[in-house]
Amino acid sequence: MLQIENLSKSYESIKAVDNISFEVEKGEIFGFLGPNGAGKTTTISMISGLLKPDTGKIIIDSMDLGTNLKGIKKVMGVVPQEMAFYEELTALENLTFWGKLQGVRKKTLDERIRSYLEKTGLQGREKDTLKKYSGGMKRRINLIIGLIHQPKLLLLDEPSTGIDVQTKLNIFEIIRETASQGTTILFTTHNLQEAQDLCHRIAIIDLGRILAIGTLPELIKIVGEKDIAVISGKFSPEQGQQIVSKLQDISVISLQEGKIVLSLEASQKMPLMLEEFFQAKIAIDDISIKQPNLESVFLKLTGKEMRE
Amino acid sequence: MKRILLLAIKDFQRRWRNPFIILGYIMIPIIFTMILGMVFGSSDEPSLPQVKVLTADNDESLVSRLFLGTFSQGELSELFQIEQVEEEQGRKLMNKNKASALIIIPKDFGEKLLDLQPVQVHIVKNPSEQFLPEIVQEVGDVATLIFSAFFAVFSDEIDLIKEYAELDSFPDQAVSQISVLVKTRIEGVSKYIFPPIVSIKQTTAPTEGEEETGGELTFHSYVLPGISIMFLLFICNIIFEDLLREKEAGTLMRMMVSPMQLNEFIWSKILTATVLGMTCTFVFIGLGELIFPVNWGHPLALVLAVLCLNILIAGFISLPYAFIRTERQAGAVIPTIIIIMSLLGGSMMPAQMFPSSIRIFSKMTLNYWGIETFYKIMQKSPAVEIIPYYSGMVILGILFSLVGAYLLKTNLRKGLFR
Repeated sequence: MLQIENLSKSYESIKAVDNISFEVEKGEIFGFLGPNGAGKTTTISMISGLLKPDTGKIIIDSMDLGTNLKGIKKVMGVVPQEMAFYEELTALENLTFWGKLQGVRKKTLDERIRSYLEKTGLQGREKDTLKKYSGGMKRRINLIIGLIHQPKLLLLDEPSTGIDVQTKLNIFEIIRETASQGTTILFTTHNLQEAQDLCHRIAIIDLGRILAIGTLPELIKIVGEKDIAVISGKFSPEQGQQIVSKLQDISVISLQEGKIVLSLEASQKMPLMLEEFFQAKIAIDDISIKQPNLESVFLKLTGKEMRE
Repeated sequence: MKRILLLAIKDFQRRWRNPFIILGYIMIPIIFTMILGMVFGSSDEPSLPQVKVLTADNDESLVSRLFLGTFSQGELSELFQIEQVEEEQGRKLMNKNKASALIIIPKDFGEKLLDLQPVQVHIVKNPSEQFLPEIVQEVGDVATLIFSAFFAVFSDEIDLIKEYAELDSFPDQAVSQISVLVKTRIEGVSKYIFPPIVSIKQTTAPTEGEEETGGELTFHSYVLPGISIMFLLFICNIIFEDLLREKEAGTLMRMMVSPMQLNEFIWSKILTATVLGMTCTFVFIGLGELIFPVNWGHPLALVLAVLCLNILIAGFISLPYAFIRTERQAGAVIPTIIIIMSLLGGSMMPAQMFPSSIRIFSKMTLNYWGIETFYKIMQKSPAVEIIPYYSGMVILGILFSLVGAYLLKTNLRKGLFR
């Protein structure tokens, strides 16, 4: 359904997206996981035809975006990060406007609006202006607008930012149902739990490059059975390196002033490691150990912890 | 076209939900015209305040008294409030802003005039007042001209009078000699001055309730079109500000992912601005007709003028938006353009009041052409005189819209993707 080949985009000297390639199948929920500024939104903007890539090819539903943007726009839906609708208008007026803009016929549109309002629990509030809606309700309307023309490819840019758990669950349920009906979903997030819960496959992106792609078990294999430990304290990178070199079966993921990220079997190696720090008279401020999961995969691949 | 209409309807729905700014922009010209009408419009009260004039007569001759008497002749006596003062006292009062002007007659004024020598009357104007001292100056100029002409025409007779005056006696023979000379002189010049070639016809604008005679403009008819055009520009600006607002809010970006083209979005704003502007103009016209004695002229001519004017306004306002990136920039630039253009174009005061050097710039503003069109329709000018105004406005409006839409496309694309 979606093929990306060697896609790149630079802003002056900064490479926002650096030669990425991936494919997403029909009905698949594909997560694009990365910290802020990793290149997720730039990639989505290029896929949606808003931004011209420097190099590379985007094929959607067998249509080349470079030559058939008009055709692609008909099969694509976008749910942007911001609440992109008109707050002065009612939910019904908004949905009718966006549906008509997408070319949905009145009768079909009315049916879809009713159905989506029901699914999102907003029936009975459709004649209220969106100004009167809560943040969660607005997020649901934002999602419905992207779905109203039943696109073949739906691009979701951090759709759950700043919402309550109930709304998040409702949104995820609709996304799963939409995917089960054959819509391909590309979902960007910086929330590991969301990606883990929702996506069939995940691509980890940082500094414009894809570091790994796969299902959750496939990604976990990257870190193997080992844990990821993060030790913070008052030590220099040289001191950290010196301590690690004294022990076997420990690999350094990242090392900087006062912080070291390691891959190790925590239950066996951690006491030895702490002993070494103690003998070197280095004060430790914090230790965290992560079991093999998406977070540890991310940490191993990027050397960074994901923050909300 | 279908999508342009859809977008325009959406904009109208949004305006309908939040109409207060537009209502404000509609009410301001009406209130403004009403207040100006009460201050300067037709009523039983004098339309101008009395002009206080100080006179310092250092000559105190018959001639100087005759000259100063000009200011209290006939209707001028209602306009001027004359107070005789000593020169020094007069200057002190002027320094305290107690009068609009001080007229100083030099000591040898009468004598020099009788000798046909040049003589100067000094008028000190109050710098803190704008128009009233100018009125004194104008009347003074006219009086000086009349006196100069009189003394030039009757120079021989004046010499004779002077001779007898020096002898301090006027025998009967002298009186009859002077009378004959004056009669002959008057007969000689009468063919040039009677009847006068140029005459003034005085008419009065009809008062409220009176039926207006065709083609005459009331005070309100003078004021309302100009000020309405100024606020139509502001109303149109609200729609174009939406271009930037939609860009900021992400709705434009979302639309760009739909089958909508950027051109359709821009033209929808031009259409909305034109239709909204027309609606507001009709409201101005209706209220003007209801509240004031404004006779707008032939309805069809008026509808055409409203259409042409609003095409021009929408096209014109689209142009600066081709270079403006943010709402803040728009907030600083557009009102400045509108106010300067309205000032020059006659929206704040009739362009006819400006000196010819400024009137050149007036003709470069759409306010001027819009106002002139309305005046022509109100004055029931023939169609052949109005059609060039219509065509000028439409052609320029379309041209501006085409250029504006083209440039806007480039401007909106920049910074759309963050």
